[in-house]
Amino acid sequence: MLEELKELICNYVEVEPEKITLESKFVDDLGFNSFDFITLLGEVEEKYNVHVNEEEVLGLTTVGNAIDYIEKLRGTK
Amino acid sequence: MKEFNINGTVMQCYPLTAAQRLHFYTLKYAPHQVTNIGTGLYIKNDVDFGVLKQSIMEAVAGFDTMRLRFVEDEDGTVYQYVVPFDEREPGFFDFSNWREEDAHREMEQWTQKPFERFNSAMNRVVMIKYPNGYNGIYLKVDHMTMDSSSLIEFNKLVLELYCAKMYNYPQPKPLQPYIKALLHDLEYEKRGNAARKADEAFWKEQIEDKNEPMYTDFTGPGRLLTQRRESGNPKLRSAMVISRDPTASISVYHLEKEPSERLMQFCMENRVPMASLLLMGLRTVLSKFNNDEKDVSVKTCVARRGTLLEKHSGGTRIHFFPLRTILEPEQTFLEGIQVIQTEQNKIFRHANYDPIELTMKRSKYRKFTPGASYESISLTYQPLTIKSRDSELPDIDYKTFWYSNGVAGQPLYLTVMHRPEDNGLNFNFEYRKDCVTEQEMEFFYYYLCRVLFRGIEDKERTIGEILEMI
Repeated sequence: MLEELKELICNYVEVEPEKITLESKFVDDLGFNSFDFITLLGEVEEKYNVHVNEEEVLGLTTVGNAIDYIEKLRGTK
Repeated sequence: MKEFNINGTVMQCYPLTAAQRLHFYTLKYAPHQVTNIGTGLYIKNDVDFGVLKQSIMEAVAGFDTMRLRFVEDEDGTVYQYVVPFDEREPGFFDFSNWREEDAHREMEQWTQKPFERFNSAMNRVVMIKYPNGYNGIYLKVDHMTMDSSSLIEFNKLVLELYCAKMYNYPQPKPLQPYIKALLHDLEYEKRGNAARKADEAFWKEQIEDKNEPMYTDFTGPGRLLTQRRESGNPKLRSAMVISRDPTASISVYHLEKEPSERLMQFCMENRVPMASLLLMGLRTVLSKFNNDEKDVSVKTCVARRGTLLEKHSGGTRIHFFPLRTILEPEQTFLEGIQVIQTEQNKIFRHANYDPIELTMKRSKYRKFTPGASYESISLTYQPLTIKSRDSELPDIDYKTFWYSNGVAGQPLYLTVMHRPEDNGLNFNFEYRKDCVTEQEMEFFYYYLCRVLFRGIEDKERTIGEILEMI
């Protein structure tokens, strides 16, 4: 899933895909703002057919956190 | 899409977006409204005006919405198109022997003059010799073609081109095509679009909340109480906010670098967006000024620039939406911000929805006349400056200004933006003169700062305690 997420992330911020890791922080390392992040999650919802909860996503700071969250949503669908 | 023959050339023309229609809607109800934005960007440096002129013309050639025009069909429907070339040369004006305040006033006058609406350029660029050794550009655009993010992007592009020519700085990256972003937006607007349907359902639920929101004015309950008396409805919860006299003014307050940094530090440490902190400050002052009202609504601006295509294709994309919070005095300052952040996130997910449609549906549901509202203030937080994180621009002493267009549809429009010179915050209050005086505006700003700093010095402080302290 990391590779798929990298592709989505690169539509939002100017960053080389190879520099994106599981530890990359959306705000501090990749330069996301909250609108970028929420819009990205909208794309994730569509792509993986999951529903994201606004309050739960407040705690997602890294790419790894986001992948864990999406996988959890997919598993409990 | 429709083809028009414009001066002998067949042009592909496209419908307006919701963000653009908002301006036409405003003009319909307030025909004296001027939809211009004026900015000044000046650097403390000698400038080669020949090179600057070349940089401006290259920037216009690379920036689609600086070449955007409007056309009207026989039924009065407005369309837009991008002309491939615009060879107008920028103007030049020497203010170097003027007093700074007189130069400012003169450029405000320029900003107040509307553009020809159809088949005509919707911007004006003037190279400026500014007082006190500064030089740069004045830029005026019609808001239907560009918003503040676009203006900043264009000014940045001019400076980058200038620095590349003069000092061998790297060439700026090419911008994204406006029509591509436009087509994306128009696709969303089609009836039956799934995303649009989901947004419509979300906003319907918001409008039809069983408890009606409460109007809170930034000068206190006077406006609502008067309208309750005049309407004979003592339970009235909305207030008429439009006026026959839209004369407006701007007051700008500069928060120094150090306290601005403290606000930013708080946001970083607590992982909350600056816009949420500012909204918390605003809604707390509104609560204070309206007998500690718990139910407060503010209009919040969504720039709608997530993807790189949206960020770098110019245009006007701003949508305003109501943000309502009901907070108890026992809740802490940080809890309040987190509630706002969650509400903002919900709005972000449904921000493509047409704000005029929302306003009309709300008016119909609540049975109030167009022009009435629950919100007295609109907030825009503009994080971009010409020296944003990917900028290669040198450390020069900058001055930036926003010039008033002299009129405003809403009572108060607050824009908070970073100064490029020191990253401190400027609070631009554009207020309608029939609603508030400059002194009252200053009073409001004073209270806003008191709330913000009382809140960030102890985030566990409750809202009730803060209301008591200020």
